[in-house]
Amino acid sequence: MSKPEHRVKGVDHAAFPTFDPVGTVRFYRDVLKFPVVHSICAAGWGPERHPDFIHFFFDIGNGDRIAFFYYFGFQPPGGAGGTGDAYATFTDDVPQFFINSRHLAIHVDDEQDLLEYRRRLDESHWPVEMQVMHETIESVYTHDPNGYLVEITRSLRPVTPQEDLDAALTVEALVDVASGPEPSMDKLLARKAELIVQRATGWEQEQERAGGAKEMTRP
Amino acid sequence: MPGPIKVGLVVPSSNVTVETEMPRILRRHPEASFSFHASRMRMHTVSPEQLRAMNAQRERCILELGDAGVDAVLYACLVALTAGGPGEHRRVESAVAEQLAAGGSDAAVLSSAGALCEGLRALKAQRIALVTPYMRPLAQQVVDYLEAEGFEVTDWRALEVDDNLRVGRIPADLVMKAARDLDLEGVDALVISACVQMPSLDLVQPAEDEFEIPVVSAATTGAYTLLRKLGLRVDIPGAGSLLRADARSST
Amino acid sequence: MSTLFVLDVPENVTIPQVAAQDPAVAVDRIGPYFRIASPTAIVIDRRATGCRHAVWYSAIAGLIDSRVTQHDKDALRVEDR
Repeated sequence: MSKPEHRVKGVDHAAFPTFDPVGTVRFYRDVLKFPVVHSICAAGWGPERHPDFIHFFFDIGNGDRIAFFYYFGFQPPGGAGGTGDAYATFTDDVPQFFINSRHLAIHVDDEQDLLEYRRRLDESHWPVEMQVMHETIESVYTHDPNGYLVEITRSLRPVTPQEDLDAALTVEALVDVASGPEPSMDKLLARKAELIVQRATGWEQEQERAGGAKEMTRP
Repeated sequence: MPGPIKVGLVVPSSNVTVETEMPRILRRHPEASFSFHASRMRMHTVSPEQLRAMNAQRERCILELGDAGVDAVLYACLVALTAGGPGEHRRVESAVAEQLAAGGSDAAVLSSAGALCEGLRALKAQRIALVTPYMRPLAQQVVDYLEAEGFEVTDWRALEVDDNLRVGRIPADLVMKAARDLDLEGVDALVISACVQMPSLDLVQPAEDEFEIPVVSAATTGAYTLLRKLGLRVDIPGAGSLLRADARSST
Repeated sequence: MSTLFVLDVPENVTIPQVAAQDPAVAVDRIGPYFRIASPTAIVIDRRATGCRHAVWYSAIAGLIDSRVTQHDKDALRVEDR
């Protein structure tokens, strides 16, 4: 049997630097109870010399991992200003929405689990900063000891097939308007309406056919 | 002319044979020259606790060898690997490779257990016989490990020496006596020493001449796998047919 | 003609319902989308839809020859371009 085109299996690890390994271990291992699952002790042996370092990993479920680098004796590089995180800092005129746009969101199954992680955080030095009901997800947020924004989120309901179509059309419209001059939401919605008119009816008929086929093959 | 190829050896602290036999074999290489750099893990007995402790030492050893900028690392403790259960050499090799790669080193990584399997596979050996210095339970583990790798161990001898320093002084005639005692009927290859500490290099070629089947040791398979990983010609005289693999094609 | 599309997902279903309370507004479907159209401006009261803010501000899927002239916590207003 030939393999599917889309073969990847989620996050192996997402890695970040830390200057506070003690706080990082407290936050992820002791507060959130994420198991320590791997570590590497190494030094700079390649063309780029760098300090001795520890690379350590926490399990974030599903066998996926968040990892940190701690470099012995390495001071935070001089950044731009007072906001930001262990990786990069910014001057105060950089808006917070932009700084927070880069973050890690970890999935939980249900409200009970979301509230359990909220409880663990609230009892720690890193309490939940906000709890937000988005369109179809609910999330709690805090910053870890390194200043990284961490989100824990649950789905309010499963994603429906029409949302995948909608996302595909949005992205196609985005690519179209972002390839042209002065992209804007207004242009995107006009372009997306054209794509809806072109595609949506055919898509629904396709779904019905596929759904019908599924009905028939169900045991 | 480029400098010698730097070979890092991770050895148990009581091992003296790897550091003797690997240089003796590789000195005979027709083209390349090698230097050897050992780092030692303290280990007295093979127990779960000591193996865990050795794991931490392994990381320290790799750091030391990484600092030396080695081109290859041979993790040379066969029982430590086989005691970890089937496939352990793959886990250890990949942990060592990851540690080296994390620091930017592209050193080749091999282990005595992995190299033994690779050497036997290169000989297309299916049915094998072996001599080990270990006590019977440990030897049985080695046999099980090799069988889990797909080999059929048709006969084997354990010389039952438990002190690792004494293993390093086992006389050659004792090893040959054990080998002659084996039933070699239908055997594809003989492992004259499955242990990197039991001296055997001088026995490989005579045993091969006497028994008329390919004979290997932990040292010759280690050298074979090292040369293959480094992309070098396998053509070393006097240490069994495995190490002459490329000799015919060379001229 | 003012025309907007809204995706048919559970959070959005009240939006075409509220819009259709205006007799000038016609609601039909194109595939999984509601098409909301009117010869005059389309005005939808947010509170009447019961939509949470996050849902409300991401509800518009497309606009045909139309533009948004109001989209705040009170109402969504779509008019001819």
